[in-house]
Amino acid sequence: MPDYALPYQDDLGFTNILMSGLGGDGANMAAKLLFKIAVEKLNLDGGYDAKYGSEKTGTPTDVSIRLCPLGTPVRESGPTRRPHMLSVFRDKLIASQGLNRGLQASTTVMVNTSRSPAEIRELLKLHSGRILTLDATRIALETKSRMNMPMLAILCAQLGFPAEVVKAAIAAQWPRAQAANLAAFDQAVGQATSATFEPDAAYPLVEPTTITSPIGFANMLNGGAIDALTHLNIPAPDAEPLGRVPVFTLELCSHCGLCLVPCPEPGAIVWNDKKMVAINPVYCKGCMQCVEICPTTKRGKALVEPELAVV
Amino acid sequence: MLEQRTIISSGNEAAAHAIIDIGYDGEGYYPITPSSEVGEYVNRAHAQGEIDLSFVVGTSELAAISTVAGMAIAGGRAVDVTSSQGLLLKAEELPALAGLGLPVVLNLATRDINAPLNIKNGHSDLAATLGWGWLTFLAPTVQAVYDLNIIALKIAEAVNLPALIAYDGFHTSHANRRIKVFEDRQVVRNFVGPEPPPRLSILDVRHPHTFGPYMNDDLINTKVLLDQKMDQALRLLPKIFDDYARMSGRRYGFLDVYGDADAEAALLVLNSAAEAAKVAVDRLRREGKRVKVVSPTVLRPWPSDTLLQALFTADRIMVAERVSQYGAGNYLANEIGAVLQRSGNNNLILSRTYGIGGLNFYPEDADYLFRLALNFPNVPDHEKRWKGYYQAWAGEKDYQPQPVATALTKEETTRNDGKEKIDLKELAEMPHRIAKHASCPGCSTFANLDMFLRGIDGHVVLFFNTGCGMVVTTGYPSTSFRVPYFHNLFHNASSTATGVMEMYRRFRRQGKLNDEITFIVVTGDGGDDIGMDQVIGAALRNDPIIVLEYDNKGYMNTGGQLCYTGLLGQRFTNANVGPHQRGKPQHHKDIVEILRGTHAPYLFQAGVANYRDLIAKARKAQKMVREGNFVFGRFFSPCPLNWGADPKVGFRIVDKAVKSCLFPLYEVEHGKTKLNYNPERAGLKIPVKELFTSMGSAFAHLAGEQFADVAAEIQKEVDRRWKRLVEMDANPAL
Ligand SMILES: Cc1ncc(C[n+]2csc(CCOP(=O)(O)OP(=O)(O)O)c2C)c(N)n1
Ligand code: SF4
Ligand code: SF4
Ligand code: SF4
Repeated sequence: MPDYALPYQDDLGFTNILMSGLGGDGANMAAKLLFKIAVEKLNLDGGYDAKYGSEKTGTPTDVSIRLCPLGTPVRESGPTRRPHMLSVFRDKLIASQGLNRGLQASTTVMVNTSRSPAEIRELLKLHSGRILTLDATRIALETKSRMNMPMLAILCAQLGFPAEVVKAAIAAQWPRAQAANLAAFDQAVGQATSATFEPDAAYPLVEPTTITSPIGFANMLNGGAIDALTHLNIPAPDAEPLGRVPVFTLELCSHCGLCLVPCPEPGAIVWNDKKMVAINPVYCKGCMQCVEICPTTKRGKALVEPELAVV
Repeated sequence: MLEQRTIISSGNEAAAHAIIDIGYDGEGYYPITPSSEVGEYVNRAHAQGEIDLSFVVGTSELAAISTVAGMAIAGGRAVDVTSSQGLLLKAEELPALAGLGLPVVLNLATRDINAPLNIKNGHSDLAATLGWGWLTFLAPTVQAVYDLNIIALKIAEAVNLPALIAYDGFHTSHANRRIKVFEDRQVVRNFVGPEPPPRLSILDVRHPHTFGPYMNDDLINTKVLLDQKMDQALRLLPKIFDDYARMSGRRYGFLDVYGDADAEAALLVLNSAAEAAKVAVDRLRREGKRVKVVSPTVLRPWPSDTLLQALFTADRIMVAERVSQYGAGNYLANEIGAVLQRSGNNNLILSRTYGIGGLNFYPEDADYLFRLALNFPNVPDHEKRWKGYYQAWAGEKDYQPQPVATALTKEETTRNDGKEKIDLKELAEMPHRIAKHASCPGCSTFANLDMFLRGIDGHVVLFFNTGCGMVVTTGYPSTSFRVPYFHNLFHNASSTATGVMEMYRRFRRQGKLNDEITFIVVTGDGGDDIGMDQVIGAALRNDPIIVLEYDNKGYMNTGGQLCYTGLLGQRFTNANVGPHQRGKPQHHKDIVEILRGTHAPYLFQAGVANYRDLIAKARKAQKMVREGNFVFGRFFSPCPLNWGADPKVGFRIVDKAVKSCLFPLYEVEHGKTKLNYNPERAGLKIPVKELFTSMGSAFAHLAGEQFADVAAEIQKEVDRRWKRLVEMDANPAL
């Protein structure tokens, strides 16, 4: 059993880790393997608590991992409120999920992004700590692994888990994807960019979330009804795109309307005056069915798949 | 102590592990979050041949527990799992099991009972059962879920009462922890006994008994017996706890008490919250406060004496419950008050409701409640009350949301009237009744619906059953519905629509309402398993509503469990593929043919790959309901997530389903069958095998060599049903 000490300890002896991702990103799987390594190889205790487990693809979700020396009573459950370590699978979640809440001083933050650590600090309004950024999406694509692999690699490295122990566990967990996963692991550790930010009063520590909203028991409509005219789900025009958006070339479009047929997203295909005019990236989820159905003519094809892009 | 090993397990896995170790004869099952996984793990072990049990997926929770009752009356050991509304649907059978003295076990991953719907924790399901004659255990940790499952069966069979083990939905069901389980299953089997103690069985034809007779005034005596059995359990449990402690090294009792024996303030909370409260106790004691947390492990029989011992010295008792008995004192607060009062005490009892839905309970929260008790009545004004809510909020006084949309007018939404032609360009301009939603990318549910709604003119009112369609369209306070919408639980939409439609007709007759409205019910195929009776009822009454089923061959919202629409051999999370089980054991259900027997005026099948046909059917459906007829339509609806299919090819799968004749496009109008498309005649019929390869990992194995026999059987069945349809199409009399 290697000698190992956790990098952080709260007053109960725990290192608290929050992973934030979207349904389908594999955050739960990463947490599961991390905890398995902690228990089976490093003789630690703790737990991991998933938010749900059968999320729709693309729905924000999180998983909390608590690690402590064996013998420490494990009593809390649910999401950790005061993470020492934060792993963000998509940088757009930083704002939408309010990920800076409850972060401790000298946090370790790991983000899948093409942004720099300094940019992430601004986005996160981080009090202090170390930010590591890596392009996990690209690494996953290049190595034919999954995004959770580089994210797991970087987290294990920051936890100080011995690399050979982690790699052996990954290999054992997915024997068939071994080579791809280990390649992703190595790339992640090698390619992460990091910077450390001292507490310089730029941003204060933020208290954990207290759940509340403008509508409460005093102004809720009878039976919890929703006024559709004030609360219809209409995203802001400048909201973050949800996925890979097909490339539309107006000049090549015959306005046949076929793309409307398989599209499951009301509002994604924008139609005006009997003409297809655009794909609205705030509605489109990138399923590419419209690309599949869009006819190819002599002149070409109005809808094509975009280059692989990091979202 | 017997040999044990460490595993990492969630609460649900721990329940499954115990079920597997015990070696039950049977499990009745119906999925509901957060308990669904228990049956999935058990079924996986069954498919792998690790255990051998009858695993029966019911059409509903009531069906599942009734199957369990059958297993038990035959002398088998039987188990079930559920949560919330699932428990309520079982409710008819649960007191019956107690009355009949059948020692079955039910795992309850607690979830609040509610509308508006929330799938997270709350103890209102548990509270509902308290008077039903069930032995009731509370498992605050993942470890306790495993242990108490074993203990519960032992006592249940000793006194012939059913037993319930409640653990917190999500907080425990989805918490993954290091736990200990017995290395050798035989140890567990020896503890509970290799066979249940002998009891009367319906299979004993040599000595027949009548079970469940009609009973007259003798009934009160059965109630006496229920109480006597509870008393007996109270007497027997200490020894069972002792035996289990000797075997496992883990000691359970009626109560878990943590803190100062002579505490000034006690906090009584159940399950996972009690664990968090222990942290608060440690911290408060460091400050010199005398506090303790008291958490019952056994709720029925109610351990009054032990509770009295634990509580009477505490001057101030805070009873915090994840449930409220609205307009009255709370469940446990009342019972504890009664215990104390009977013994002449008059401790201060405060009652708070907390942690409902997604709200968590952390040590800080326990700290707050302890201080409230310690300082009462010197507390903020809004806390100067014996009963109240902790963690609720009033909202902002001057919150004035601005309109973001207008109501759709009849004019805007009339695009089909009087038109023969189906022109996508024109239909493209139909405003969306359903706005942005949160489905997975490429989900066919909304492709079908959106296209169907383009063929419907004027005002529409929508009713959704619970399922993906419902879950991804509302999330308080946001809605995707620009038209009036009602979700009235999982399986009730068609009957609910009938009620609304009746009032609509009445108010129109009375001249109180002038708008013309089309009522459309949207349900998953699962909604038409559990709600089959209600759809059939609406059809039999010929209620002028349109019921649309999106058939994605599974219970997708809850994680891909078996629906009767699934194909023979289809892989589900609760119908696994392994050496001892080959996916779903039966052929796919055919709801349109089931409804044919109601002689409903208009039934159809459609798919988005054939949009002209779909729009034509939408128009006809509206014409039919306007003429006072019931309409049912079913869409073939790929689910990229749970099928493991490429979202890109969704509509191509639909096309192949049609061409393989697995999903024929047809309609039944006033009893006359019409095939809208005949791939055979067009020379385009494909073998079903070709379909399986594109449908994703839930089906791909069916195209493989090992499943060649299953694929052949499916083909045979598809061909048989197809031939029948062709004949009916040719012969209007059929
Ligand atoms: C009485 C009751 N039992 C079970 C559930 C849990 N539940 C909610 S949705 C669902 C599956 C719905 O399946 P289906 O109707 O096929 O729709 P889909 O999820 O596939 O969209 C289940 C089992 C419930 N909400 N209420
Ligand atoms: S399918 Fe292609 S050509 Fe037809 S309207 Fe859409 S983008 Fe234009
Ligand atoms: S990619 Fe999918 S969601 Fe986006 S516009 Fe095309 S069909 Fe619609
Ligand atoms: S799970 Fe399946 S049915 Fe549900 S939203 Fe996702 S793709 Fe659609």
